[in-house]
Amino acid sequence: MSGFQAGLPGASEELIAAFRRLLVSLADSKRVLGIRYSDWLLGAPSLEAGIAASSMAQDEWGHARLLYATLKDFGVDPATLEHDRSAAEYASVEALDAPFEDWAAFIAGVVVVDGALTVALEGLLEGGYESVDGRIGKMLGEEEFHHSLGDAWFRRLAGGSPEAQERLRTAVRAMAPPAIRAVAPGDEAHRTLSDSGLTLPAEQLRKRIRDRLEPLCRLLEMEVPEATAATGDWDSTRGRGAGAPAEDVVERARGDRNRALFVE
Amino acid sequence: MEEKIYDVFARKSRGEALSHIGYLEAPDDALARVYAWKTYDEENWFEMCVVPRSAILPVNRDDGPFSLGGRSKAQMGGRR
Repeated sequence: MSGFQAGLPGASEELIAAFRRLLVSLADSKRVLGIRYSDWLLGAPSLEAGIAASSMAQDEWGHARLLYATLKDFGVDPATLEHDRSAAEYASVEALDAPFEDWAAFIAGVVVVDGALTVALEGLLEGGYESVDGRIGKMLGEEEFHHSLGDAWFRRLAGGSPEAQERLRTAVRAMAPPAIRAVAPGDEAHRTLSDSGLTLPAEQLRKRIRDRLEPLCRLLEMEVPEATAATGDWDSTRGRGAGAPAEDVVERARGDRNRALFVE
Repeated sequence: MEEKIYDVFARKSRGEALSHIGYLEAPDDALARVYAWKTYDEENWFEMCVVPRSAILPVNRDDGPFSLGGRSKAQMGGRR
C-alpha cells in the first residue's frame, strides 16, 4: 500500500478531483442500490429472502454514509452531498436508474452491480488511502454475504425455468456494460488515479469483474458482456453515462418529505 | 420452490456455549448461511452455524422441537 494521507496533501487538483469523483460515484451507487434492494423487502420469493434484502439495503446505506463522510477530508460537507443535490447531479451507475423489475433483476443487481462496486472497493483498499482503509475492511466483510446470496440465487435461477434463465440473461446484459464502465472507465480521471496508485488500472479492475462473472455467465451459456464503449454519452464529471435516477428515487435518498417536517 | 428447515446456533464469545437462537427455511445450504446471518443479526456474534433439521437425531423423545425431520411448515400442513 502507498499510504496516502487524508486529504492528499500536496496532490494536484486533477488527482484530488478524480479521487472525489470516485468516492461520490461509489457512495451514490451504494445509496441508490440500497433503495433498489429495499424495494424487494416485500415481494421476495420467501420471508428470509426479503429479510436478507432489507439487511443488504441497510448495509449499502451504511457504506454510502461512510464514503460520503470520507469527503470531509476534502472540505466537502457530507450533509450537502446527501441532502442538497438534484437527481441530475447523482453519480450512481446508470444500471440503477430503473428499478429491479423482478427477482431475476434483483439477483443480477447483486451479482453484477454490487459485485462491480466491490471490485472498486478492493481497488481503493489496495490504493492505501488511509482514512478509508479501516472502513473498507468492514464493507468487504459485509459484501461477502451479498456475494454468497447473489451467487446461490444466480445458480438457482440459471438452473430454473427457461423464463427465469431468460430474465436473468436480459438483466445481466443490461446491467453489466454500464456497471463495468463506471467502475473501470479508464478515462483521463481514472488514469490519473491509477497512475498515482490510489486505485488499480482499468484493465485490472475489468479482469477482476470478468473473473467474478465468467463462471456464472457460463451457466446461462452467455459471454460476459463488454463494458459500454467510451462514446459521446460519457459524463466525465460524474463518472457515468448520460441520464440520472428518477427524481422520486433521489427524493427518497434525500429523505425530503420527512426531513421537511423537522429540519429547518 | 422446496425449502428445508435449518436450525441456527450462535455464541457471542469464544468461551460461551453455542445456543439455539432460531430457525429458518431455505432452499439450500448456501442460502441458509446467508439468511441466518442476515436474519439473526441482533448481536455481534463470535460464531454462528446452521444445521439442517433433518440432520438432528432425537435421542430420548420424538415430540421435541427438533424432531420434525426437516420437513417444512407447508409439508407439515402449517404445524411446526
